Amino acid sequence: MNPNSTILAGHLAVLSLISFGGIPAVLPDLHNFLVAERGWITERDFADFFAVVQAVPGPNMILMMSFIGWKIGGMGGAIASGLAVFVPSCTACFIAFRLWDRLRDARWQQIVRRGLLPVTVGLVVAGGAVMAEAADRGWPAVALTIGAAGVLLTTRINPLWTLAAGGVVGALGLL
Amino acid sequence: MPSRLFAARIGREPAPPVTLPALFVAFLNVSLCGFGGGLVWARRMVVERQRWLDEHEFADLLSLCQFLPGPNIASITVCVGAKLRGVSGAAAALAGFILVPWLAGFAIGLGILEYAQAPLLHQILAGVSAAAAGLLIATGIRLLLVRRPRLSAVLVAAVAFAVLVFTKLPLLLVVLVLAPFSVALARSEVAGAK
Repeated sequence: MNPNSTILAGHLAVLSLISFGGIPAVLPDLHNFLVAERGWITERDFADFFAVVQAVPGPNMILMMSFIGWKIGGMGGAIASGLAVFVPSCTACFIAFRLWDRLRDARWQQIVRRGLLPVTVGLVVAGGAVMAEAADRGWPAVALTIGAAGVLLTTRINPLWTLAAGGVVGALGLL
Repeated sequence: MPSRLFAARIGREPAPPVTLPALFVAFLNVSLCGFGGGLVWARRMVVERQRWLDEHEFADLLSLCQFLPGPNIASITVCVGAKLRGVSGAAAALAGFILVPWLAGFAIGLGILEYAQAPLLHQILAGVSAAAAGLLIATGIRLLLVRRPRLSAVLVAAVAFAVLVFTKLPLLLVVLVLAPFSVALARSEVAGAK
């Protein structure tokens, strides 16, 4: 594995452990590190990787880091970067879950859970809105986003159909 | 509140233990379906299809995962697996979530990157992204509707949403300010209800 791949994996492992709120939260930092500081990939590469992983099934952010690793160090870089992004955080997560579950009937934890829920809701909906901002370039796309949300809330239609319909609308050049 | 949780547990049929292959396959499915974010699919699989967790338990896990580092959906996978089958469950769920989908996604992604600039592909990607954004928004709204929402909870959610979308303040800062505030609010309401 080339030295740059090792540096990248180390950087990703640290980001993995501080990425509270998910990997998208650390994308600005990563972008700065890769494009401006090191010059390992271009602005265009970064945007392309991000767009492609939105449209591919599978673990998006792990895949995005693998594409970056692949660009920098081939297959070894891709695997190292993919592992670096989830192994540290998943280990931490498992330990945290055990502690949390052991104390779940404690009164303070019920209050904390009740307090955290609305913040979580705000973060999730905001995540959707930010994605919409990145994808939407006009009122037809906004209507598509709102329509997809409405369908999921009011029907039991498999969301894959909604996504496929979105793809068809896009292919027809309506957006 | 404790009595209600207790009652919910007694009322449920004692289900047979979830097998490790079932966890592997379930999260393999979640991962393969997870265009534009796996949360929509994780909730659908774990709560609606398999009924491994109820709405409350899932919302609780998600709240915890939002405050843990790493890809949220991977954290949820680990937590659901750990809750159902301990460390081996977490490993089985995570392996299902990552192994095959990573290989497939990597191969397909490399193919798409070759043609990323083709106009038709670009348009399809835009449509899928717009729809995926809507699904994520709806999943967030559903979380709030798990219990009859309190007005204060709706307001906190709205503030979190507005601050993140319109001010672009760092996420960590937003969470560090809003979470303690919201917990204090919940505490005063619980105290006030007595």
